[in-house]
Amino acid sequence: MAAGILFTLALGLYVARMEPGLSNLWLYGLHKTCGAMLLALALLRLGWHVGHPPPGPLPGPPAWAMTLARATHRALYALMLAVPLSGWAYASATGLDVLVFGGVRLPAIAPVSEAWEDALHLAHILLTRLMLALILLHVAGALRRALVERDGTLARMTTGRRG
Amino acid sequence: MPRLLAPLLLLLAPLAAPPAAAAPVPYSLDAACSRVAFEVAFGPDRISGTMPVAAADLALDFRDVSTSHVDVTLDAADATASFPFAAQAMKGPKVLDAGHFPAITFVSRSVTRTTEGARIEGLLTLRGVARPVTLDARIYRQTGTAEGDLSHLTLKLTGTVRRSDFGATGWADMVSDEVRLDILARVDRAG
Ligand code: HEM
Repeated sequence: MAAGILFTLALGLYVARMEPGLSNLWLYGLHKTCGAMLLALALLRLGWHVGHPPPGPLPGPPAWAMTLARATHRALYALMLAVPLSGWAYASATGLDVLVFGGVRLPAIAPVSEAWEDALHLAHILLTRLMLALILLHVAGALRRALVERDGTLARMTTGRRG
Repeated sequence: MPRLLAPLLLLLAPLAAPPAAAAPVPYSLDAACSRVAFEVAFGPDRISGTMPVAAADLALDFRDVSTSHVDVTLDAADATASFPFAAQAMKGPKVLDAGHFPAITFVSRSVTRTTEGARIEGLLTLRGVARPVTLDARIYRQTGTAEGDLSHLTLKLTGTVRRSDFGATGWADMVSDEVRLDILARVDRAG
């Protein structure tokens, strides 16, 4: 999922800056398809957590770092839903069909108007920026655990073993 | 297509001795064999499409072209474009707003002879906004008709409009402001 999010983020940044033409129009579709799959995965993941709560953090870091980490995690989960939802809502507000997988039409989830379109576009941009910042923070925290404290947190994150 | 059409040169030369009461002759449009096409730039590519003609009222006078008139209504709601997204975007509220303004009309105000055909100046109304537009007209004889036979003609009309003049500004960052029109009209003299 992390790879998917990074890929979709990068693709979104690229698509927003390229000169659109017939040859690259499909990239919009790819971005929307990846985004929609990530939304589904995020829902599955949250659903999984309800039945299978993730393990608590290994003790060690100072309280401020634990608080920051908890806030970052909550925000990242919220953004895993809010970012694709804002993209979907923005695409709906343009009045064009939101097509994923090359032809499956998602229902419109926002009113069609230029005011909504502008607002939701801005929301999608700001939320993706926030997501980028929090990913950096999350990675920085994980690296600190791995390189400074060497306590096996990173291995737990990547393999799922409670070590 | 133009390869099939022999220019009706006869029309371009002044005709001898116009009868005293030259009057514009009504023509009917053969809609099935006519085509209103347009083209816009889309990045390095082009998007093209067509619009069906809902009604056309034309009267042509080859002796005194200035008394000719053209009055056409297009059906914006049934316009097509080269891919589905483009058609949907074009008919949507930010461009043609075909939901509110299903008809696009053109009414000629003046027709003048040029060395190669005629210039038609008129008023184009789309999205409820009327703006002057100039079309260049060439007239051709249809294949299979005799020289000098004015009963079946092919008109080729070209021109450009700026969609921003009409408030049709959607997707201005992707699709050109300038829209090129390319109209092929096959007409039959009525009666
Ligand atoms: C986790 C999921 C997603 C991520 C990480 C993401 C990320 C991004 C980013 C970084 C941009 C560039 C914003 C800018 O700088 O202008 C963008 C643009 C965009 N996204 Fe997403 N997005 C996601 C999901 C979606 C979904 C589900 C849709 C629609 C169904 C969507 C539709 C769009 C559209 C239409 C643009 C605008 C491109 C443009 O401005 O030309 N996104 N996205």
